[in-house]
Amino acid sequence: MNTVLLARTWEAQRAKLLAVALALGGWGFLMPVIYASYGAQFRSLMESGVIPRQLAEFGGGDIFSLPGAVSLGFIHPIAVALNCVFAIGFSTGSVAGERQRGTLEVLLARPISRRSLALTLYAAIVLFVAITTAAFLVGVFVASALWGVSAELGLSRLPLLWLNGVLLFAAFGAIGLAASVSFDRMTPVLAIALGFTIVSYFVDVLGSLWPDAKGLQPLSLFDYLKPSDVLSGTATPVDFAVLAGVAAAGVAFALVRFPARDLAAPS
Amino acid sequence: MSVIVTDGLTRRYGRSVLALDGLSVEVREGEIFGFLGPNGAGKSTTIRLLLGLLHPTMGRAEILGLDSERQSVAIRGRVGYLPGGIALYDSMSGEALLDYLVDLYRRPPVRRAELLERLELSAVDLRRPVRDYSRGMRQKVGIIQALQHDPDVAILDEPTEGLDPLMQRAFYDVLDDLRSNGRTIFFSSHVLSEVERVCDRVAIIRAGRLVALEDVGALLARRHRHVEIRVRGEAPRLDGVAGVSKLVTRDGLLTCELEGDVGPFLAAVQRSDVADLTIEPAHLEEAFLEFYQDDRPAGIVGTDVGAVRAG
Repeated sequence: MNTVLLARTWEAQRAKLLAVALALGGWGFLMPVIYASYGAQFRSLMESGVIPRQLAEFGGGDIFSLPGAVSLGFIHPIAVALNCVFAIGFSTGSVAGERQRGTLEVLLARPISRRSLALTLYAAIVLFVAITTAAFLVGVFVASALWGVSAELGLSRLPLLWLNGVLLFAAFGAIGLAASVSFDRMTPVLAIALGFTIVSYFVDVLGSLWPDAKGLQPLSLFDYLKPSDVLSGTATPVDFAVLAGVAAAGVAFALVRFPARDLAAPS
Repeated sequence: MSVIVTDGLTRRYGRSVLALDGLSVEVREGEIFGFLGPNGAGKSTTIRLLLGLLHPTMGRAEILGLDSERQSVAIRGRVGYLPGGIALYDSMSGEALLDYLVDLYRRPPVRRAELLERLELSAVDLRRPVRDYSRGMRQKVGIIQALQHDPDVAILDEPTEGLDPLMQRAFYDVLDDLRSNGRTIFFSSHVLSEVERVCDRVAIIRAGRLVALEDVGALLARRHRHVEIRVRGEAPRLDGVAGVSKLVTRDGLLTCELEGDVGPFLAAVQRSDVADLTIEPAHLEEAFLEFYQDDRPAGIVGTDVGAVRAG
């Protein structure tokens, strides 16, 4: 790993990182507030039968508790999109973007191996998603304390929830990096990484809302993000292991593929 | 000692495109080695193979005794590289960019101050973001990033692109200094006049094949110079004089082509009453164009063929 490159990457991304972290922190802050302020109304609305019961299954099927509300916030499209700024946006551009702009040539003229470059960029991806995921949970923690509902949350389980989230977005980041080292242009890289993420999310949502599609859920990486189970203490190590395995496979692919590639002159 | 060695270096793109075909050259320590060829001749492919950015289809390359494919990281630690049409990080200031790029070498920028002064880049210029730089300023930053850490070998691809004539001259002086300090420079260009001006030896490639490798001086000496002599009285007898050809005499004006040593020609001329004498210097351009004539067989030519092993 190259510390100079890591420091430069941090410097280049820190403003964006701050913005995303603040947004996710704010989003996380909203979850306990909404739960404390409107949870009872939601429950009565849902129980009135106006809204189909199956919709309550999204996010783990426990949306009327604080852990359920936090879970819902964690896998809500807004939170996923914000986390994907780095898991997909940064990872896909990390190599292919530099290649497309022509700056990769300047970088690889230095004594850095391609493996070291890929590993450093992946370390940056993990660092960024670790911070953005933590920002969400900090928002949850602060709001829970301010609204006096922190006892319902199980604060000791937040670090495990953080790890679950980091592993999910680190897995998407690894897939983005693997695509990024494989192409010279951003278009196919974005198509692969974004397509995989969107399809994965769609399959998970479909499985949670439509019982007949439940069997498809294990094909989605989002199925292994289990905030509700983590907060209720029923999560299994298998979910964490699957996400870690996908991340490791993506990184391994990048470490093999990138050095083997020919980097012809930019056209 | 040879600093850069290629041995049968070959690179194919797919099955149909042969970008480089058995290139075998040796670049000596402390010389400026010109690498000439038009666009698409294989210059950039050669450089990318030397730096390990491309993998050879056949053959091998070495820089400073290190294998370009297996030890490219070690090579890049001792080489300064200026890519053709360099792209820079536009959001950074010139100074931050140079700091970043030299930090990646983990070597101090021992030549930066001198290069900044010679290429007339001020501290104020360096504080501006690169996106505001003109093409010439970008090229200057490109040159500085390649040389600021005082590399043993510099590989420069079209280094004077975008520089005005004054800056080109300043840059040639920088190259002269590097040569005097024993640094080796691989100078890729299609600007013949600058190769003629700065290089010790030149390799010419055409369609991926080496067609000439020679001392620049020897190459020029072998070129035909155009001669015009205006004489009073009897014209000198130049038939059969070594190096003289295409002799035409009319109304006291004698024209001919002259190749090689001028001694026999001058000896023959000095016996006549010469009113005026013009010898147009040979230019590398003529040699270059000669090598690029389409009907010319792609053999290797040069006084330095001993350093060339045909691929």
